Amino acid sequence: MHISDGVLPVSVSIGSYAVSLGLTVWSARKTRSEEMPKLAVVTAAFFVASLIHIPFGPTSVHLIIPGLTGAILGPSAFLSIGLGLLLQSLLFQFGGLTALGANALMMGVPALACGWFFQAFKGSSPSRQALVGGLVGAGGTVLAALILAVLLVTGGEDFFGVAKLALAAHVPVIIIEGAVSALTIGFLARVKPALLLHGLEPAHGQAHG
Amino acid sequence: MDRPMDEVTVVQLPLWQLLAMVGLPVVVLAVIVAVLKRVARAASMEKGEPDWSVPQLEGRAGNTPLHRWDVRCKIVTILVYSFMITAIHKMPTALAAIGLSCLVLVVARVSLARVLMRLLAIVGFIAMFLLVMPFTVPLKNGDTVIVFGGLQWLHFSMRGFHLAATIAAKAVAITLLMEPLLATAPLPVTLQGLSRLGVPEMVGQMVLLSYRYLNVFRHEARRMSTGMQVRGFRKRTGLATVQAMANFLGMLFVRSFERTERVFDAMRARGYKGRFPEQAELRLRPVDIVGAGLWLTIGVALLVYDRMAW
Repeated sequence: MHISDGVLPVSVSIGSYAVSLGLTVWSARKTRSEEMPKLAVVTAAFFVASLIHIPFGPTSVHLIIPGLTGAILGPSAFLSIGLGLLLQSLLFQFGGLTALGANALMMGVPALACGWFFQAFKGSSPSRQALVGGLVGAGGTVLAALILAVLLVTGGEDFFGVAKLALAAHVPVIIIEGAVSALTIGFLARVKPALLLHGLEPAHGQAHG
Repeated sequence: MDRPMDEVTVVQLPLWQLLAMVGLPVVVLAVIVAVLKRVARAASMEKGEPDWSVPQLEGRAGNTPLHRWDVRCKIVTILVYSFMITAIHKMPTALAAIGLSCLVLVVARVSLARVLMRLLAIVGFIAMFLLVMPFTVPLKNGDTVIVFGGLQWLHFSMRGFHLAATIAAKAVAITLLMEPLLATAPLPVTLQGLSRLGVPEMVGQMVLLSYRYLNVFRHEARRMSTGMQVRGFRKRTGLATVQAMANFLGMLFVRSFERTERVFDAMRARGYKGRFPEQAELRLRPVDIVGAGLWLTIGVALLVYDRMAW
């Protein structure tokens, strides 16, 4: 769920822009400058992944994958997510331009937390990586929903009802997100384990593909 | 309801009117959205295979004042003005802002189908406010509340509805401006303007690159899903679908990572040293600054009007 324009108080939208800007600069410092073009290409893949809908009963949910982004990209995830959200806002109007900072916080902070958690607890066996990946996928979505609720509540007690509904709407997403993250990470652990180790480090011997 | 009801104006209505007030608009809106989505999609659909090498967000050629406006002035003005609209509190001001945005749309002569697509993208989020806030805002003195058929717990607060409608109006006013901001100059020129405004050049290049590969991967994802459908895969609720989608995602990531190396090598082989050549010569004319000043003055005037009692 992306916050659109006009919802947040102006102080909150400017404040979250400032915090996001700081985190983006930190994230960019953690990314080697010659890796940036590669990060841009990977961001495009995450962007496309977030457009995929998965059926859930009568409706369908689309993935937000903060957990996967964090697990694969580590500290570069915030930069990647900021970039992805900017594009989503520019191209599809998913998330308003004035709410870009708030949306980046909502998705990027969980991604950073997930990346740290995944690298700390991933172990070495593919099944354990899949399990931790699932935890990270579900946990990242919980965190994103909580940040969304907190941001909405900054508008005052009039917004409590909407914040509660937004939290409730995330419950199916949390389940799907956890399952998909576990299975995707399991897939990557079997097919290309290097991705889960280094993220953007060059994959040696993979020049042709 | 803890608070005394005597400070709140209560209007009693029979229960069926609740259905009329909430259900009917929802149904009508849903039908309109469905129809508009189809229309907008048909209008924006390109004939045949699109050329993936050219980003589609290219500004349309045009010779309106917005096309001629210096791109730096345009970015700063529209961004600052959007924040001003966010600060609006009252409905009449928000409606005036919508009027102004429509005027800009007419002047900039942008594609209405694309504007429509943008509006449709925010409908879901805004509808959540319109549906939830009237029933959940806490009661305050002087509120008017509609109670349906003696259901005391279900009260429709006019203040909540008004608040949600104001939010919706602000969102629409800003969303209408996005197409004039982006479609009146080619994307590389807009990004060049950004970098001239002090944004690191790398950001603009990353946006351009992701934008280009976004289209490549969308194409790739579509091909992969066509392949899955040909082999008999259908999306259903269940673990099998989730498993298939997870493998799909994993494959997309593996392919994208493998592509990054080749893309980067190809860029370096063509002499990439951290920057792209500049797209256009930017010149700041006095009339650009006057335009920016005029627009922002209107924004300030709106805010002043908004804060005054009415």
